Amino acid sequence: MLRDHFLSLLAYSVLVALFFAFLYHREPRALLRSAAKTLGWMVVGSLLFAFLMFWTGP
Amino acid sequence: MRPTFPRWKAYALALPTLLLPGLSHLCLGRKGRAAAFFLIVGTTYAVGLHLSGALFPFDAPNWLYRLGAVGQAGLGLLYVGGRVLGLGKLGPDAVTDVMFGYGSTFLVTAGLMNMLLMMDAFDIAVGRKD
Repeated sequence: MLRDHFLSLLAYSVLVALFFAFLYHREPRALLRSAAKTLGWMVVGSLLFAFLMFWTGP
Repeated sequence: MRPTFPRWKAYALALPTLLLPGLSHLCLGRKGRAAAFFLIVGTTYAVGLHLSGALFPFDAPNWLYRLGAVGQAGLGLLYVGGRVLGLGKLGPDAVTDVMFGYGSTFLVTAGLMNMLLMMDAFDIAVGRKD
C-alpha cells in the first residue's frame, strides 16, 4: 500500500512533522498545532514544487 | 527545574540513543517523549526497509551513497544490526526498484532524527532545555 508515491509523501510528512512537534513542544495543544502546520506545508509545498517541475519541464 | 548533570555525564547520557531511539530520554525521565521518539524513529526505519531502501555501506561505489551511510550511521545499533542481518542490501535489484530512492530517504532521515535525539538528550542533561 505504501508503494504509492503520494502515500509515501504523506507517511514521510506525518513522521517528520510528529518528530519535530515532539522535539520542540511540550504542551499538547501547541504540539498538535505545530505538527498540523508542518504536515500541511510539507504536503502542499511538495505538490506545488512537483507541479512547478511539471509545468516548466521539457 | 530538574538538577543538571556534569558535562561528562551529559555526554554519556546522550549515547543510549545509539542502542535504541529514545533510550536517552527514558534515562532522563522523559517517558512519554521517549516512547513517542521510539515509535517515530522505529516506524521511519521500518517503512524505509519496507520500501526497498538500502542501508548504505561506507565503502559504497559513489560518494552520495557514502554520505547516506554517514546519515544512516546515526541509527547506531539499528544500522549495524541491519547491515549484519543483511537488511536493505545495496544491489542491482535494490537500485532498480522504483521505491529505492524513497526507502533510502526514510532510512537516512531516521538516522538524522536519531542524531538530533542525542543532541536533545545532551541539552536536557546540561539543563539547556526542559
